[in-house]
Amino acid sequence: MAKAGEYIGRERTCGRSRRVLWSAALAMVASLAAAQAPLPGGPPAGADPNAVTAALGPPPPPPLPANAPPPATDPRNLNGAWYHTDALVFQITTDMFGNPTPYNDAGKKVMARRVKSLKDGTPFLNASARCLPVGQPWQMDLNMPFLILQSQDRIEFAFEEYHGLVTVQMDPAKALPPSYMGRSVGHWDGDTLVIETSGFKQPVWVDVTGSPASRNAKLTQRVRKVKTDHWILEDIFTLEDPAYYTRPWSWARQYDWRPDMTLFREYDCEVQTGAKDGMDPSLVSEPREPDEPNE
Amino acid sequence: MLSLAVSASATAAAEPANLEGMWKIEAPQMAFRPEGGVVPFTAAGRKRYQDNKRALAEKRLGDFDFATARCASPGLPRLMLTPQRFRIWQREGIILMQFEWNRLLRQIDMGGLVSPQIRVVSGPGPVVSEEALVGRSTPISRGHWEGDTLVVTSEGFADNTLIDNLVPHGYDLKLTEHLRLRGPDVLEDRIRIEDPATFSRAWDTVVTYRRVADEAFAENVCLDSLPVNR
Repeated sequence: MAKAGEYIGRERTCGRSRRVLWSAALAMVASLAAAQAPLPGGPPAGADPNAVTAALGPPPPPPLPANAPPPATDPRNLNGAWYHTDALVFQITTDMFGNPTPYNDAGKKVMARRVKSLKDGTPFLNASARCLPVGQPWQMDLNMPFLILQSQDRIEFAFEEYHGLVTVQMDPAKALPPSYMGRSVGHWDGDTLVIETSGFKQPVWVDVTGSPASRNAKLTQRVRKVKTDHWILEDIFTLEDPAYYTRPWSWARQYDWRPDMTLFREYDCEVQTGAKDGMDPSLVSEPREPDEPNE
Repeated sequence: MLSLAVSASATAAAEPANLEGMWKIEAPQMAFRPEGGVVPFTAAGRKRYQDNKRALAEKRLGDFDFATARCASPGLPRLMLTPQRFRIWQREGIILMQFEWNRLLRQIDMGGLVSPQIRVVSGPGPVVSEEALVGRSTPISRGHWEGDTLVVTSEGFADNTLIDNLVPHGYDLKLTEHLRLRGPDVLEDRIRIEDPATFSRAWDTVVTYRRVADEAFAENVCLDSLPVNR
């Protein structure tokens, strides 16, 4: 299966400090790339920032226990715990075929501003920093487990991080109102679950660096359960958003079957961000220029 | 989707009761009503309670009630007072309560899950699990069936949440819940609350819920209701 993008490192943080460390890690990578100067006690000058960040990451999760049960035999039964094992892609720089991410002029302008904010050590406030639902596909890219819960008329994706929730209504007539995560409607194409998400309440950051998506973006996921040397959930994402991209583009992810990760750790970022002085003061509001598209 | 229904029925058949479905508290209430009428505070517990009352009167919610002031998780047992809906999912080895409020999830480990991964904090000294290091507002509960009653115990709390809107607790809080169907559409949760630092003895309270239509939750984001985020 094709892997897309630039692999920089794994998330190593946990619990309540996770939000702050995202920005710190990003700023550190940017500063290494920009300055190429040794940090006190840090890596040597000229070190590859991608490698440095990767080295910060935790070891991969322990292997699936030998006595772990397989997922349900029914290919349309996706119930259970899944985990994004591949290293987090901070910025998706290519599509699944190796072509550069097709930013249009507006997309390039936004990306230049966001990358510069990281290099300057002043990352922008975004949904993640505020502890709001981060939208898709960011939510599914994180190296945290999620549960799929299926009932007669819907499929729920319940995430450990951000206590995120994506509800896929299988009946379009029951589609939920627009939301941070968008409104998702699903159908089966053979044994592939096709999820179409639109109706984003606000613009979305596609990845951690900030590849943009507008409120009017449409995200399609084709999800299927596959047995390789182990069970995975394959997910092909396609983003259509003329506001920021010259064409629809696709990338692929895979999630390992991890029934040993069914029990979640607690994630309660609101206890920090909801406080009057709870926001990281190094984060700044993102400026917008008058000629930018109406996101 | 047929196979999913089969899966859910199979789970239900293996257990003495099927609690699956959507539930909503019968009588919304801010505080638990203790059987016997009074919460048996210790002196220290009563002082914290009075402090909380004073802070509430002075509108200093941020001093003691992080759920209301910040949208932090209310934790247990306060979550069971939610005036909004929650959905129960029964699956192999686990029962989940999915709360409408702020998308929270409560997990009850019924045993039999494959070797739950122990995530560790490493560094100098002995390796310890995160769970052992830091209490939680909503610990992983442990459950088992006694006839048609689901018995659930919860321990390993942090001390920065409340029993309800005012009653405090400490790290040694222990909850024992007995959940049972009083009828096809009425769920009872009998909760025993123990915390020697806060209460002079165990005390009990009962909350009931009524089954409601099983419809998906619209996205619920508590932070949107805070003035700082409007």
